[in-house]
Order: sequence, then structure tokens, then C-alpha cells
Amino acid sequence: MLASVLTEFPILSLLLWLPFAGTLLCLLLRHSALACRWLALLTTLSVLLLTVWLFACLPTESGWLLKEDYAWIPTFGIRYSLALDGISLLLVCLTALLQVAAVLISWKQKEHTALFYALVLVLETGIIGVFLATDLFLFYLFWELMLIPMLFLIGVWGHGNRVYAALKFFFFTLAGSLCLLLAIISLYLIHGEQTGIYSFAFESLLQTQLSSGMEMLLYLGFLLAFIVKVPLFPFHTWLPDAHTEAPAAGSVDLAGLLLKTGIYGLIRFAFPLFPNAAQQSLPVLAVLGLIGIFYAAWIAYVQTDIKRVVAYSSVAHMGFVILGLAAWNQLAWEGSLLLMVNHGVTTGGLFILIAMLQDRTGSRDLRVLGGMWKTLPFFSAFFLLFCLASLGLPGLSNFAGEILVLLGTFSRWPLLAALAAAGVVFSAAYMLRVVQGVLWGPLGQICKIGDKDCLHEDLDRREWLLMIPLGLLVIWLGLYPAPVLEPMRGPISLLLKAGGLP
Amino acid sequence: MDSRLLFLLILLPLAGGILNACIGCRLPRRLVPLLAIGSVLGSFILSIVCWSLAAGGGTQVKLFTWLESAGLKADIGLFFDPLAASMCLMVTGVACLIHIYAAGYMARDENPARFFALLNLFVFAMLCIILADNLLLLFLGWEGVGFCSYGLIGFWYEKHENALAGRKAFIVTRVGDLFFTIALLWLFTLLGTVDIAEINQRAAELDPGLITPLVLLLLGGACGKSAQLPLMTWLPDAMAGPTPVSALIHAATMVTAGVYLLCRMFPLVSLSSVGMAVIACVGAFTALYAASCALAQREIKRVLAYSTMSQIGYMFLAVGVGSVAAAVNHLLVHAFFKALLFMGAGALIHLAGGENDIFKMGGLRKKNPLLFGLFLVGILCLAGAPLTGGFFSKDAILLATFSRGDGLSAILWGLGVFTAGLTSFYSFRLLYLVFFGESRGSKAGHHLSPLLVWTLPPLALLGLCGGLLNLPHLYGGQEMLSHWLGTVPAVVLPFVTEIGLVLLMVLSFGAGWLPAHILYRNFRGEQEAPWRQFLLQGWRFDGLYEQIILRPYRFVARFCWIAGDRGLIDGVVEGIGSTMLHWGGYFRRLATGQLSFYLQGFAWGLLLMLGWLLLKAAV
Repeated sequence: MLASVLTEFPILSLLLWLPFAGTLLCLLLRHSALACRWLALLTTLSVLLLTVWLFACLPTESGWLLKEDYAWIPTFGIRYSLALDGISLLLVCLTALLQVAAVLISWKQKEHTALFYALVLVLETGIIGVFLATDLFLFYLFWELMLIPMLFLIGVWGHGNRVYAALKFFFFTLAGSLCLLLAIISLYLIHGEQTGIYSFAFESLLQTQLSSGMEMLLYLGFLLAFIVKVPLFPFHTWLPDAHTEAPAAGSVDLAGLLLKTGIYGLIRFAFPLFPNAAQQSLPVLAVLGLIGIFYAAWIAYVQTDIKRVVAYSSVAHMGFVILGLAAWNQLAWEGSLLLMVNHGVTTGGLFILIAMLQDRTGSRDLRVLGGMWKTLPFFSAFFLLFCLASLGLPGLSNFAGEILVLLGTFSRWPLLAALAAAGVVFSAAYMLRVVQGVLWGPLGQICKIGDKDCLHEDLDRREWLLMIPLGLLVIWLGLYPAPVLEPMRGPISLLLKAGGLP
Repeated sequence: MDSRLLFLLILLPLAGGILNACIGCRLPRRLVPLLAIGSVLGSFILSIVCWSLAAGGGTQVKLFTWLESAGLKADIGLFFDPLAASMCLMVTGVACLIHIYAAGYMARDENPARFFALLNLFVFAMLCIILADNLLLLFLGWEGVGFCSYGLIGFWYEKHENALAGRKAFIVTRVGDLFFTIALLWLFTLLGTVDIAEINQRAAELDPGLITPLVLLLLGGACGKSAQLPLMTWLPDAMAGPTPVSALIHAATMVTAGVYLLCRMFPLVSLSSVGMAVIACVGAFTALYAASCALAQREIKRVLAYSTMSQIGYMFLAVGVGSVAAAVNHLLVHAFFKALLFMGAGALIHLAGGENDIFKMGGLRKKNPLLFGLFLVGILCLAGAPLTGGFFSKDAILLATFSRGDGLSAILWGLGVFTAGLTSFYSFRLLYLVFFGESRGSKAGHHLSPLLVWTLPPLALLGLCGGLLNLPHLYGGQEMLSHWLGTVPAVVLPFVTEIGLVLLMVLSFGAGWLPAHILYRNFRGEQEAPWRQFLLQGWRFDGLYEQIILRPYRFVARFCWIAGDRGLIDGVVEGIGSTMLHWGGYFRRLATGQLSFYLQGFAWGLLLMLGWLLLKAAV
């Protein structure tokens, strides 16, 4: 019964286009902010339910779990093909979850409400599309589709220096995407010349014979697009600006999801398509990842804007992920992908909390905040929990991923792994600085009018609703990550083999 | 007996902690401490009940698999052997008394729920360290106690220094944890397992050249947690926390986790003679360093903090000379008398109206003779007065060191004896300054809650009689603890040598006591001296670290940000952008809006194209 539903019903398309339908409806109902709000919530919730249902009942096997494949533009060999395996399943789940959070955190959004939610929903379609598409043309389409809503989310609803940040984000990623486009088209043409069949289908393109020089060149095109998105040192400077200026929902999506599309692109397309070039690039990736860990941790230590600290911590965590991927073994890859999911939850949670803080105090500046535990104990408890998770306290989510990455990396590059472990100390240094600046000490100047303390409201019902599941998730992922690791295990071993084990 | 009871042992404090953390602020005020005490008491009873499980090879149980991936399998699993059982009993017992004491101490605090939640969580994490059957779970406890210590040192967070002290403790110990992590990674890569028993069993398979670095890494981890050189600077500052916290975490339990780790991994550790020698040296030098600092301290809790550091140094020395039994014995006895001293100090500070400067105390003997008696017991144990627990345990360590017979051991033994003299001196200095003479303070004393005094006698008794735990044959004992732990029996020295060494110990005790008696019995204040300042500030290690670590760190951080991100990377990016704009400016001039200009261009273009075609046709 269930199996037949899953194979016959185009469930992936439903997943993909449901948010888009939400977008259209939002635009239709643009005169009622309330309707749009609820519509967005309902849409994201139903996507979440759908993915959770899939997560619960799909088997944990390697290979594609679900597939859809239709001809689309036959003249150019472009197909509408979607497929889902354990890795994409997890990432889609994460997307669905964080989108609900993004909608809930911007519940009080007042300017151009309809347009805002429409963009958030179309962003969801773009991200899910990236995680599902197996036709490179379709993939590129969704890849670019993510860019536009994000640009406007930052540029229209952002904070002070939003236009600069939005443009910086746009041009960085666009420059990368351009390389990707050129590489995809070249690959398409080379493959067409070799076989006479012009196709963008990933599985056909895998068969392309490439000279090593050409392989490297095309690989670099893919790589550039993906590592700008990750972002890997030294292509990361767009991220702090984008994060800082983006509205809460934008920050959550950026950190939780957009960064993951870069990693996903690497492991799904770049590594398997160009296995030899990928192998050659691993040491460079590892070193860049390591530099990222240190460099970002250092910079995070001297920031005064909390959002900036968290943004740089994202760069550091992504350095960890890349380091694990570069180690190229099962243990490290499982760790990297787990860390990716965990980072999505913790950093997403942190951005949500920062948004709440900014709602209340109007500031994100460590120099004027402080002593929040006194006035907002529940908020502070959550804030502490997420900071601890982010600095890698064992038993909370990030540690599980980090330790697997380190264990896996140590067998290949002991020195790099040992140095990366030192990065963990640094993360404690900057995260505790944030905790100190926000929660401890005397009440900050911003929270005082004259000599009197401002009384802020602690978490309201909507915020409790948002934080409890995320908080539980952080603990659950830290203490029992098996349900997340198992679906990835098969696909990872396939990917490692397809890329050629060293 | 069902071995799963062991899980209840660690889960009870966890449950207590979670309950207090989540709903503590809604509970009636009196229920909060009761809940915390109840859960720890439950653990204590369970560790007695489960005692028999430890006999023989011990018991291993698992709850579920925490992390499993290619080749890695880390369970939430416990291993209960004699070593773990002894530690468990001590930790839960002392924790229980300190919880009760804390109920009195924190009776007027605004946030009892947060305090007791963290205290319970601490007990949970500490039991995790003790009972973990694999290094990852041990690490969970290891970081867990670090976090609880962080939260409790900075418990009164509204004062900036308290929160700073908490952060310092967390980060400095994390530097140690880094070494521990690397050791863990390395061991897993070499042996393919994180199970402690298996690692110990297969340690002999390892390449001998690798064992020494591994042991040194483990030592690094232990040094961070146990505040040994060179990672010791956090412990004196940690005294900013409430006194029950200092008693439980920074005296009796957490700071001895490093010693426990080395004992737990002893089969591995003992394979490296270089590693052992380094452990012994670190121990002996820390003991001396800390004792010298304690000579000049003025805050009562800081004296005790340095004495803790010094005593843990002795335990490291014991491990380094291969005597686990002596280390564990001193660990247990020290836990009793040091908890006693700290709790006593807390009561004394109350009694003196919140004054913690010993130069401003004085004369408290008359105010509360019972407290004086109890504190005296603690001081006698610490100073190693003959026939107290501290005397036997310290003596065993120095005996073990002496009996090694090599040159290094002889030097370390000499240091140990000298340090024992210093210990006796600063202990009595403390005692005389606080209790004797006239009151030098100006603050009015508070009334003492009975809980603050009546939790001390059991500890005093245990400290006093701690020698019976491992009474050597010389005194007609059976070395019970050594047999229970199944360690190598101590080398038997000739009777005369042994007696001679004991007499020497008595002598060094007296040599410390006498000058203290002369100088501080009737204290009138002392001269400021540069060497006193030097010792008071812990040999100025804080300043040194500020200069060689923190400042460069901040400099690099600023440099990366301003020069790297802002200057170089963004400079290049924005440079490209502005170059484009610049050239765009030139091209913009072409868009004049005049039709004739465009037509002109059109014509020129046409002409060029035609010319090119012609040229091509001609060729």
C-alpha cells in the first residue's frame, strides 16, 4: 500500500512545488497580511509533515529511494528529473524544519508582508530543488532560483547596510555560478560530441571521458561555485555582511540551508563527475578548511556584533565540514554530513534567538548588552544551550559531528586533525565571549532607562513553540545521532566508491 | 543483583538536575534543595548497594549506542571496577554532605534552582567520568564537569569578575582537553577502539616509541583539569564561586579527575618510563610551586585552593612513581579533609561577617569552639600531623618515591619532604591567623545555620581515620586499599629505613609548625615585601600568559580581521568592483543620446564588417 503510493504518486514534485503554490497564493492574497502569514505557516508545515513522513517510512538503503523522470525540453536533452537518496532526504528535512522556523520568527513582519512570505516560500522551492534535481540544467535553474529571493530578502527587509550586503552576496555567488554554468555547458558539449547524445542528465554525464587538463578545468568551475557558497576561506567575506544585514528569516536560511547547498553540490556533482581532479584537490581543500577554522575563529573573537560572531563561527564550522570531506573516508564523511545538519539546527537556533534579543532590546552589540539572565531567564537558558552546542560541548549536537570528522581525519592527516582540534578551543573562546557579553555581568546600558532596568517580556507562546523543538533536537542529535547517520551511511559509501577510494 | 542499577546511579542526579533546571523556579523553595539532596543521596545508597558488583573483574553494562560509524562504536556504557567503586562512593558521599551544607549556605539566595540544578548535573558528569567504559563517554563527563564548573564559578554572574573567572576556568581546562582529544584520536587510529579496558589490554601492542607522546598528551589533559603546571592559573580564580562549589568541585572531586584519568589508563601510562618520570616531575614541582604560593595568600579560600593544587601534585607524583594505591588513597583522604576545610572556611566567612581576608579575621576560636575543633582536624590532616589520614597517605607517596632508588626519584623525594614542611607551615599560619589572637576585623558576624556546622563531623572523622584505609604493614595494617584495587604491592624497605623516613616526615611537620607558631600565634601584621607580592600573585604566571599568549592572540585576531578580511580580501573584491565602475564610466560617455553620433558609429561598424568580409574573400 505504502510502497505503491510512494512509487506511483509524484511525491517529489509535490514536495518541490507545494511551496511554489504557496508563493502564488500569497501573491493572490497580498492584501491580507494575516492570510499570507497563516498561508506561509501552513505551507511550510505541510512540507515539514511530508518530509517527516518520508523520513519515517523510507528504508535506509543506499541508492535512490525515490525518482521522477520526465522529458522536458527534448531538443536540448533537458529532462525534468528528480531523485532522493538518504543524504538529500536529510537535507530536505532540515530545509522544511528551518523554513517553518523562518516563518515563525518573522511572524511580526509588517512591511510588504505578502511579498516577504512569497519570497521565503519560493526560496524553499529553490533549495528543495537543488537537493532533488539530478539533471544538471534543472539543478542550475534551482541553484539560481535560490539567489533571487535571498537577494531581495536581504536588500529589502535587511538592516542598516543592506544594499551593500545584498549586492556583495549576489556578486560573489553569481561569479561562482557563472563558472558553474560554463563548466556545465562545456561538459554537455564534450559529452555530446563523444556520444552523439546531447544530455544534461547527471548519470549520462558521469560517463564522459575527459582529458586530465580538461577535467581539472571543469572541476575548478564547479568547485568555485560551490566553495563560494559553502563558503570556504578565502571566499567567505560575503557571508558576515549578508548575515549581519539579513532579516532573521534570511539569516536562518542562509546559515541553515544555503551554505549546505554548496557542500551538497560538491559531494553530489563535483566529486563524482571529476573523480581524479577531486582527488588531487583534496589536500588543498583540507588546508583551506583548516585555515578557515582558525582564521574565522580569530576574527569571531574580536567582533562586537553577535550576528557577525555567529556568521564567522559558521565559516569555521564549514571549514570542519570541508576538512572531513577532504579526508575521504566513511567516518569523516558521516561526521561532515552530520555536522552539516547539526550546524543548521544550532546556528539556525542562534540566529532565531538573536532576532528575539534584537526585538526586545534593539541591539546586537556585545558592548551595550549584558546581564540578560536577570530579566530574561528562559531566553537566556536557550541562548546558553545553543551557544554550548555551537562550541561543541559533548552531548549536544555539534560535538557528534566534530568528533567523527576529527576521528576520520586523523587517520589520514594526523597533524591537520590535531590542529583542527585546537580550533575547538578557539570556538570556546569566542562563543563564551558572546555568552559573557549577553547573559552575564551587570545589566547592559541598552537595557536601562536612566537608572532603572527595562523589563523585557520573556519568551511568549510562539517563541516557546519555536525553541522547544529546536532545543530538543539539539540534545537528541547530540546523544543519539543514529537515526540521522543511518540513512546517510549507504549513500556515502556509494559516493566514496564512485569517486574512487584512494 | 541487576547490573543496570548502575545506570540509576548516574541517572538520578541527572534527573534531579533536569527537574530543577526545568521546573525548579516553579517549585516551592524548600523542595528545590530537597530534590537535589534526595537524588544524590539515592546515588550514594546505590553505590553502596552496588559495591559487590565491582569485585573480581568488575561489571560492564551498556544502555545504548551513542555514536556508531565505520569502525567506531561508542556506547553509553559503564564499567564498575574497584577503582570506579571507590571513587563513586567518595564522590557521592562527599557530594551528599556538600549538598546538605549548600542547602544551608544558599538558603537566602535568589536562584536556588539554578544552583542545585548545576550542582546535580555536576555530580552526574563526574560519575560519567568515573564510570565511563569508553573514552568518548569519559570525555562527555570531562567536558560536562567543565561546563558545570563554569556555570557555578560564575554563579553570581552580576559581578563581572565572577563570570570572567568562570570563563577562564573553562578555557584553560579546554586547552588541556585539546591534548586529551588528540590522545583519543590517536588511540582510536592506532587501535580502532575507544573502549578503555580494551585500550589498556592492548596497549602493549603499540609501538613503544608512540606510547611516550600518548602518555604526555594524556598528562596534558590531566594537567588542565587538575590545575597542574603549566595549566594551573584558573584554580585560584575559581574561588569566586560559592563555597559549596569550591568544596565539591574545586577541592574534592573535579580537580582530581586528572589523577583518576591517569590511574584509569595506568596500564597504558606505566608502559612509558619517560612519561612516568614527567608525570612525577609535574606533580612534585606543582606541589612545591603551589605550596610556595600558599605561603603568602591572604584570602582564606585562595590558601586552600593553592593547597589543593599542591596536594594534587602529590597524587601526580604517586602515579608517576607507579603507586596507584598511594595516589588513590591520598585522593580519597584529601577529598574528605579538603571538603571539610572548605566547608569550614565557608562557615568561618559567615561567622566573620563576609570577611575572607585572613589578616582581618582572628580570634574566631572563642566565637565557635566546635567549628575550631573541626577546622583543626582538617588543618592537622593537611599539614600531615602524625597518625592523621593525611599523614599516612602522604607518607606512603614519599615512601614509594624514595623506594624507587634512582637519582631523579631521590630529588623528587627531597622536594616532596621540603614541600611537606611548607605545607605544615602555611596550614598553621592559616589556623593561627583565623582562630587565635584578637579579632582584627570590623564586620559584624552572621549567625551560623546548623547545617553549616553539623555536616562537617562525618568528614572530620573520615579525614582523621583515613589512614586505616590503606594502613601499611609497618603499623600492623593490611594495605586494604591496595588489595582492593589489585595494584602492585609497595616495595618493602628495611625496617630501619622505613622508621627513619617516618621520623623525617614527623620532623618536617614540626619544622613547619614551629615557625608558624612563632610568627603567627600573636599576629600584628607583616611587612610588604616584593617576594610576598610575587608569591601572592602565583609567581606572576597570569601576567606571563597575558604577555605571551593572550596579547598575541588578540593581535592576530585583529590582524586577520582588519588586514585579512577587511583589507586584503574585501580590498581585492571591491577593487574589482570599482575598476569595473571606472571603466564603465568611460563607456558611459559613448551614450550621448545624440542620434547623429549613434548613426556615425553604426556606419563605422558597417564599414569595418564589410572590410573584414572583403579581406576574407580576397584571401
